[in-house]
Amino acid sequence: MKHNKLTSLFATIPLLIATSSYAADINFSGFANIAAGITTSSDETFDGYTSDIDFNEGSLFALQVSSDLGDGLGVTAQIIARGEDDFDPKFEWAYVSYEFNDNWKVLAGRQRAPFFMYSDFLDVSYAYNWITPPQGVYDLAFDSFDGLGVIYTSQLGEFDSTLHFSAGRNRDDFNLADPSEAENIVQPDFNKLVGVAWTLNRDWLTLRSAFFQTDMTLPVPALSGLVAGLDGFGFSQRSDNLEANEDKVTFAELGFQVDYNDFIVIGEFTTLDLSDTGFADSDAFYLSVAKRFDNITVHVTYGEKDSDIDNLLSDLPSTISTPIVNTGDPTADFITAATTDATYAAIYNGTAGYLASVEEEQSYITVGAKWDFHDAASLKFEVTKFEDDGADNTEATLLNIALVTVF
Amino acid sequence: MINLKNTLTALALASVMATTAVQAEIVVVVNNANAVALSKNDVSRIFLGKMKSFSGGGKVVAVNVSSASATREEFNKKALNKSSSQVKAYWSKRVFSGKGTPPKELDSDAKIKEFVSSNPNAIGYIDSANLDGTVKAALTL
Repeated sequence: MKHNKLTSLFATIPLLIATSSYAADINFSGFANIAAGITTSSDETFDGYTSDIDFNEGSLFALQVSSDLGDGLGVTAQIIARGEDDFDPKFEWAYVSYEFNDNWKVLAGRQRAPFFMYSDFLDVSYAYNWITPPQGVYDLAFDSFDGLGVIYTSQLGEFDSTLHFSAGRNRDDFNLADPSEAENIVQPDFNKLVGVAWTLNRDWLTLRSAFFQTDMTLPVPALSGLVAGLDGFGFSQRSDNLEANEDKVTFAELGFQVDYNDFIVIGEFTTLDLSDTGFADSDAFYLSVAKRFDNITVHVTYGEKDSDIDNLLSDLPSTISTPIVNTGDPTADFITAATTDATYAAIYNGTAGYLASVEEEQSYITVGAKWDFHDAASLKFEVTKFEDDGADNTEATLLNIALVTVF
Repeated sequence: MINLKNTLTALALASVMATTAVQAEIVVVVNNANAVALSKNDVSRIFLGKMKSFSGGGKVVAVNVSSASATREEFNKKALNKSSSQVKAYWSKRVFSGKGTPPKELDSDAKIKEFVSSNPNAIGYIDSANLDGTVKAALTL
């Protein structure tokens, strides 16, 4: 199965090469991450890893094909086969770019939404110290979108400024289940996605901020009973607030990076507002400090994530007492009223239970090292201690090792 | 104890001499017709793809010497203030996000001189020992 999918990825190569006979030069490049992870105790699962060593979850192969058609026009496609998707190759990027001049560049097609500092090269582990960027912050429902990106670069005094505007839509399949559970695929719609990211860079200092909004539709089959139930009791506003149905949601990010004399300090703060969607709002941050010793870099990262959801039951009664309607059969009339009361209680308690279950209070610390043993490859080791004092009340220790390369 | 000290001194001397041997000067070269004045910061911005045109308006065509060459590593250190791995990481960020592509590579100083002398907007760098009249020195590192 996996073999077939990989074969199909590489089978596309000769096809693309064949195309080059009537096009400009075609450039191939790529990157690969081979990662393994294991939790230290049998009852711990974290980020898709369990106490059985796993080589798939974080591994990926990527191939980029690009062609400069001249006069500022270019075409680029990046195909990534991920272990977590059984190495099923997918187009992560596929765009036509046009450079109007030194300052303005437009990308049309499938591209990365620049939510975070590392969004643009999220999968290129070779380009940063961690095996993957901190998962507490890098945790949105989608990474790429189809649409338009406009990049404006300029100089502001001593700083290089990059303004990156995005507009488009994402309707990629989404897995509602935790990575360790059976898949629960639904089709969301993140429509009317618009956003801007602004990066300022001067020598050793980088400052960044981003703001995005989109109309979110994300069906959750497990909640449909509660939604219909609340609706049935006349609480249509509440049921609406438990459903992500074209609800406007927003995301904001602030980040910085200092890379001075082999000391690197990186921080990002994000806030996600998912009000009235049935999903929790969350605030997250991480702070990472690293030191380079020639070809070895050691780093330590601390991060937190707090997820809260509005209590849409706040002014509803926890129980109701339905008056008995006399229809001539006292037993049946009593049962009808009692059943209504019990149904309401089940919906109320079910909703309360769901709301409580999405609250999170996570913290984690990651200590790691990156060894640049080759010009185009690094070996990375990490230990992550994770805690959630929210509804899940879990903790886990995860060991990761990865071999990452660019070619 | 004294022996050890002597040995250490000898090792230190040897390493200083070894460093001196590879630390030849590097000259950033442009076409003879190019009157541009370049600072070290300009050179760094050009080779990191941030500065795309000369102040005179011509579109910059930068060329690197092959990554196998000692001059390349020396240039990365002196002009870009980065190790070879850091430069590679920098370009992998840009290449895989559609932000830019690294300068093309040429095999030798001779090929760089040939390229720069025949292309008015070209810029490269060579070992100062190989500098001749075919190209113009814009900056010595």
